[in-house]
Amino acid sequence: MQKIEAIIQPSKLDAVKEALIEVGIQGITILEARGHGRQKGHTETYRGREYSVDLLPKLKLEIIVTDDMVDAVVNTIATTARSGKIGDGKIFVSRIDTAIRIRNDERGDNAI
Amino acid sequence: MNDQPGPINALRDFYQQGLAEIRAQFEQQHTARTAGRTAIEQRSHLADELVQRLWARFSDHPKLKSGVAIVAIGGYGRQQLFPQSDLDVLFLLDNSLKELEMKDPIRRINQEIWDCGIRASPQTRQLSECDGLIIGNPEFTLSLMDHRFLCGNRKLYDKLAKDALPKLLQRDHRTLIARLVEITLDRHAKYANTLFHLEPNIKDCPGGLRDMHVCGWLTTLYGIAAQAQKQARPQHNNLAEFHQATDFLATVRCFLHYAHDRDDNTLYWQSQDAAASAALALGNIGNRTIDASVWMRSFFRNARTIHRRTMQLLEEAPRVRGSSLYDQLRRRHKRVQYDGFHIQHGRIIFDEPASPRAPDPANDPDTVLYLFEAIATHGCKLSSEAEDRLEPALPILAANLEEGPALWTHFRTILNGPYAGEALRAMHALGILELIVPEFLGIDALVIRDAYHRYTVDEHTFVLIDVLHNLQRPPEPMNSNNRPNTLAEWQRRFGGLLADLPHPELLYLAALMHDTGKGRDTPDHSKESARMAKNLFARMELDPYEAGIVRHLIVNHLVMSSTLRRDIFDMETLRLFVEKVESPEQLRMLALLTYADISAVHPDALTPWKAENLWNLYIGASNYLDRTVDDDRVRSRANSELIQRVTTLAPARAKEIRAYLQGFPQRYLRTRTPEQVFAHFELASGLVKPSPAAKDTEANIAAAVELVLHQATPVSEITLVALDRPRLFATIAGALAAWGMDIVNADAFANGSGIVVDSFSFIDRFRTLELNPSEHKRFLKSLKDALTGAMPVEKLLASRTRGGKRKPPKVSVETQINFNHEVSSHSTILQVVAQDVPGLLRAISLTVADHDCNIEVALIDTEGEMAIDVFYITRAGQKLDSARAGLLRDDLIVAIARNTK
Repeated sequence: MQKIEAIIQPSKLDAVKEALIEVGIQGITILEARGHGRQKGHTETYRGREYSVDLLPKLKLEIIVTDDMVDAVVNTIATTARSGKIGDGKIFVSRIDTAIRIRNDERGDNAI
Repeated sequence: MNDQPGPINALRDFYQQGLAEIRAQFEQQHTARTAGRTAIEQRSHLADELVQRLWARFSDHPKLKSGVAIVAIGGYGRQQLFPQSDLDVLFLLDNSLKELEMKDPIRRINQEIWDCGIRASPQTRQLSECDGLIIGNPEFTLSLMDHRFLCGNRKLYDKLAKDALPKLLQRDHRTLIARLVEITLDRHAKYANTLFHLEPNIKDCPGGLRDMHVCGWLTTLYGIAAQAQKQARPQHNNLAEFHQATDFLATVRCFLHYAHDRDDNTLYWQSQDAAASAALALGNIGNRTIDASVWMRSFFRNARTIHRRTMQLLEEAPRVRGSSLYDQLRRRHKRVQYDGFHIQHGRIIFDEPASPRAPDPANDPDTVLYLFEAIATHGCKLSSEAEDRLEPALPILAANLEEGPALWTHFRTILNGPYAGEALRAMHALGILELIVPEFLGIDALVIRDAYHRYTVDEHTFVLIDVLHNLQRPPEPMNSNNRPNTLAEWQRRFGGLLADLPHPELLYLAALMHDTGKGRDTPDHSKESARMAKNLFARMELDPYEAGIVRHLIVNHLVMSSTLRRDIFDMETLRLFVEKVESPEQLRMLALLTYADISAVHPDALTPWKAENLWNLYIGASNYLDRTVDDDRVRSRANSELIQRVTTLAPARAKEIRAYLQGFPQRYLRTRTPEQVFAHFELASGLVKPSPAAKDTEANIAAAVELVLHQATPVSEITLVALDRPRLFATIAGALAAWGMDIVNADAFANGSGIVVDSFSFIDRFRTLELNPSEHKRFLKSLKDALTGAMPVEKLLASRTRGGKRKPPKVSVETQINFNHEVSSHSTILQVVAQDVPGLLRAISLTVADHDCNIEVALIDTEGEMAIDVFYITRAGQKLDSARAGLLRDDLIVAIARNTK
C-alpha cells in the first residue's frame, strides 16, 4: 500500500480527476495549497499598489493505492497534468503501513 | 422486592408489541397530518403504563413508597414521545431522603426500563433542588415546566407542581426568558439562522420542533410575566396554522425515526424521496405522485410558520445582546412616524385607519413599499400585528400595484439598503416579493440536489445579498464560529470594489435574479434567468443600459468561477475571459457577484485560497482591459456581433455606421449599449465637417461639438462628441471642475476619422443640477462655450477657485507616475495615481497637452480619495522617448502639487 502525493496546477484538476476515475481510482483527497519552486511568482500592479504573487496557487492530491496500482496512477497523473512548462508540479510516492476504515474497522487493502 | 425474570420478559413483550402496533398504525396512516401526533401520544401512554407496572414491582420498598415520585418531564412530560426519543424521567425525592441511599433501588428501576428496550434519561433530585434556577443548566428547569405525574408519592409531586415550580417561575421568569432566548439564538446561529437547508434537521433548525417547544415555554413565561405586572397578554391569530404545522413536523419526525432506526432528525435526500413517494402528511391526494421538491415546499411552508411564530415571541423578549442599528432602534422608545405606519422599539406597526371608512394603509402599495424600504434601511422588523394585516391585504396589493419607474425607485431603495436581505426575506415570506418579481416564485424553497450547496435556492439568493452588503462594513476579527476571520483581507479588498460602484443596485438586482432559471427545467439556468429577468426589466422600465448590465451579469455569473479552473496567469485565459466581461464596471460587478455567490453556497465555501485566486483573476483581467485598449480596434468590415447590434438599429445606414465605428477601440463598443453608440453616430453625423479650403477651419472645428447630459443621482454623465482638437479633454475637464463637479470616471476614445467621444461620470457635489433643472441649459451652454473658445476655461475656473478653502483629505495619497512603453504597440501608457481633488484631471491633461502629446485613449477612475488615471499618449504619432517621458513626469509632479494646494 502506497501514498501518492501530487502537486498540480489547479487548472489540471478536472482532467486529472477524470483520468484517475478511468483507471479505477475513486478516492482522492484534494487540498488547496500555495507554493513555489522553480516557477517564481510575479508582481502585479493594480491601482498604484503592488500585489506580489510569490506563492502560486496549487492543488495537492493525496491518493492511497495498492502496490499494483502505483505505476498506473503515477503515469496517469504525470501525463494528464503535464503542460511542459515550469510549474507543472511534482509527484511523491511513499509507503503506508496500513489503512483503517472508520465506519466498519476494515483494515489493510480492503479499507482503501 | 420482585425481580423474577419471568415478569420482566412479559413486560418487555408487552411494550415491544405495543410499539409494533403503534408503528403499524402510523405506517398505515402516515398520509394524515395528525399521524405523528397520534403515534407520539400512543407511545407516551404505552411508556406510562410500562413505568407504572414496573413501579408496582418495587412498591414494597418502604422508602420508594413514601418518599419518591416519578415525574415525566421534557418531551415525555408533554406526551410527545417520538419513536426513538429518550424517556426523560425525574425521580423526585423528598427532602428527608438522601440521593445516596436511594441510588440502588432507583438504579434497579432504571435497569428494568432499559431491559424493556427503552432508552431512559433519568435524573434524581430532591424537591429542594428543583426550586431554584441553575444558571448553567436552564434546560433542566425548562424540561421541568413540562412535568407530569407518573407514579409514586402524589403529595410530593403536588409540592413540586403547585408550590416549588410556580414560585421558581414567578421569581426567575425574566432570567429564564433571557437564557431561553440566548440558547435559541445560539442554536439558530449554528444553522446560519435559516431554516432553508437542503437537508434540514427538523428538530434543531430554525422552524424545527425545538422552536415549537420554545414557543410553548415562552408563552407560559410571558403569561407569568404579564400576570406579575397585571397586564393582559395580546392574543395572536393564526394559531390554528401553527398547530397544523407542528402536527406536520411531528409526523415527519416519526417517519424519520422509523426510517433511520435512531434519533436522527435530518431530512436527507433519500428521506425526502421516501416522504414524497409516501405523500407523508399531505392528506388524501388520490393517485397523484409527488415530486420530492414539491413535498419539501410543504415542509418548508410548515417550518416557516413555526419559525415566524418563534421569531415573533423572541421579539417580545427583553433585549439580551447585540449592538446593531436595529438594537439601537429597539432601545429607542420614541416613536418614528411615517405615512401610514410607525416604528417603535424597532418594530413596524401600521397606523389604524382614521375612520372606519378610511382606507387601510396595509392595502396601499406605496405605504407597503415604503415600509419595506424602512426595513432595508434601518434593519427594523415587522410586528406580528403588521404581518397579520399584510397577509389578507395581498389580493388588494396585487390589484393596485403600479409598475414602471416608480416601482423601480422603491425596489432600488430596498436593494441598496444595508439590510436588504432582511427586507427581501420578509417580503418573500409574505408573498409580496412575488407580487413584484413573480419570477421568484419558481425558486421558492426550491431544493436543488447538489453536494456543494447547503441552502434552498431562494435562501442562497438572500445570503448572497447579505454577503454583498456585509462587504460595506469593516470585517469582523472573528467569524461566526468564533475563529479568526481569515477572509478579512479579502473582504476589505472586495469591499473597496463595491464602494466604487456607481450603481450598486444593478449588482443587487442581478444577484436577486441570477438563479431564478433554476425553477425551470432547462439545461442552462444562467440564460433562463436572464430571459426571465428581461420581463422584469420591461415591467420596471429599466433603461436599456442598466438592463444590459444586469442581463450580462446574470448570463455570465458562472464565467469567473469556471475561469478560476483554468490557468489564471496565462494571457490567453485572460483574453478569453475579458472578451466576455466587456467593461471594467462589469468586471468589478462580476468579481463581486462571484465572490458573494461562492460565499453563499455554505459558510466555508469561500476559502482564502479561492478568494486570493479570484482577486488575482480580477486584477489580471482589469490590467488586461486597461493595457490592451489601444491595440484592440474596431475594423468596420469585420463581421462582429458588436457592430451588428448597432447596424440593426438602422439597417439602411449600416455603411455609414460602419465608417463611423472604424478605428474606435473595441472597448468603446463594449462599454456602451447599441442605442448609445447609435445616438453618438447621429450626433457625429450632425457635426459640421470643415473643408480644407475653408478660411476659418479652426473656428469650424471648434464649433463642431455636441453634448448630451444624463442627469442622475448620485452620478450623472455627460458625453461629448466632437472633432478632435488640441486640449479638448483638458478643456472639458476644466469646465466640469469649474462647475464643482467631481469627476469619478471618464473615458475618451477617437475613431479613424478624428471624431472623439468623451464621457465623464461626475458627482454634482452641490446638487446644482438636481435641485435646479433650469440650470441644465446654462450648464451645457457653459461647457460648449468653453469648448468653442467663447468663454476661456481659465476664466470659469478662476470664478470657482475664489470659493474658499478645501477640506483636508481623510486619506493622504502619494502621487505616483508610471510610463509603460511596451504594453501597447502604438502608444505610451501613462498611469497617474494621485489624491483625488477637483481640477486634477484638468491639471494632468493640460500638462500632457503642453508637451504636444495627444491623448489617444483616457481611462479615468476613482477609488475613495485616490484617482487612478490611465492615458494612452503619442507625440507626433509615435510613442514617447524616455527623455520626453522624464520631462513630462517632472512637469506632472509640479502641476499635480500646484493643483492640490
